[in-house]
Amino acid sequence: MADAPLRPPGALPEEQFLATCIRCGKCAQACPFHAIVQADLFDGLRSMGTPVIRPRQAPCYLCLKCPPVCPSGALQRNLKEKEQVRMGTARLDTKRCLAWQGTLCRSCYDDCPIFDGAIRMDDMLQPVVDPKRCVGCGICERVCPAEPAAIVVRSATGKKR
Amino acid sequence: MKLTPIRRTVQVCLLVLLFLVPWLNQQGIAFLNGTLYSFAIGPLWITDPAIGLQTLFTTRSLDTVLLLSMLLPVVLALVCGRVFCGWLCPQNTLSELADVVAGRLKIRRALHPAPAPTLRLVMLGIILVLAAVVGLPLVSLLSAPGILSVQTARIVLEKTVGAELGLVGFIVVVEFFLVRRAWCNFLCPVGTVLGFFRVRRTMKVVFSEEETRHCTRCHACAQACQLGLDPVAGGLYPQCHNCGACIEACKIDLTRKPLFFQF
Repeated sequence: MADAPLRPPGALPEEQFLATCIRCGKCAQACPFHAIVQADLFDGLRSMGTPVIRPRQAPCYLCLKCPPVCPSGALQRNLKEKEQVRMGTARLDTKRCLAWQGTLCRSCYDDCPIFDGAIRMDDMLQPVVDPKRCVGCGICERVCPAEPAAIVVRSATGKKR
Repeated sequence: MKLTPIRRTVQVCLLVLLFLVPWLNQQGIAFLNGTLYSFAIGPLWITDPAIGLQTLFTTRSLDTVLLLSMLLPVVLALVCGRVFCGWLCPQNTLSELADVVAGRLKIRRALHPAPAPTLRLVMLGIILVLAAVVGLPLVSLLSAPGILSVQTARIVLEKTVGAELGLVGFIVVVEFFLVRRAWCNFLCPVGTVLGFFRVRRTMKVVFSEEETRHCTRCHACAQACQLGLDPVAGGLYPQCHNCGACIEACKIDLTRKPLFFQF
């Protein structure tokens, strides 16, 4: 069972999003980082054409240029502060995390846009996610040097499919 | 005045824009943004009324911004008829081109149904009810102009295309071998909704011999119509999308032809 895909910032809950989004692709065009791509048939017929973010390829840099261009309101246009974004939550797999396995690494900590908030380093210099403050942008997943990434964002917009 | 060269120019300009707009967006110039589902010219937002109607069905509510952005296409349809279909829609451009090719190849279609406005309505009704039941924007998934515009943007931005393009291929194959201009003429939900916005004064093709009485009944107009309509016989609407091919085809060389656009 796959998670619901990661949606752009400000997305309505998944079921509502699928009904409201008109598949116009304006958000994908507005994204200066080309992080928003349009889902294809292999993402499921229901998702086809909807905007998704695949953070390992290109994460969301929280510029928030996409919500204001949404014509249908599937992305809530009044989103202004990056701290308010709730795209998902980063989950850390300590068994694969280099820092937790004894190597010095703080890639995710250094690049987290909610700096020293969503990801903190504990007394052992191991990263820890604060799910209350994590916005789910996926930058940590992008920069994680482990392969596959030891830190992965789970979508917040819906239950598991 | 020649209509067809002007219309061809408009059609080509739109095709160029389908690639140019996403490319400009990529360069950081976002004044023009969007696709034929919903387009933005700076602060002016334009949304396909069929898409707005669908959203009413899928969400049982209508976003104010979405409602307001439908205004311009509705006004254009009220004044000029379905000129979006005849002059702008890339699927119409593609189908017209395919129809010319099929004509050159002397393809005989398998079926020749008469224009049926009720079929269009039934098709739209089914799509909307189904969209409400499954909670998915089926008009979006069946909007050929929308799909073409999104996929051209994806070619520019993502260097890929989606499976949605299959619908366009399907339409072209059906129109090539089965029914001439089947999509625009009988099925397209976008065109059906635009056809609702028609009043007495909406621009229309008029056949009138009052002043000239020079029609020789050569039927060049009816032959020029890819939708199989006959301007002399009348009953053109709601199928006719004011492309003007019939007026252009009229061979009577007078300052005023018996066939013309009138508001």
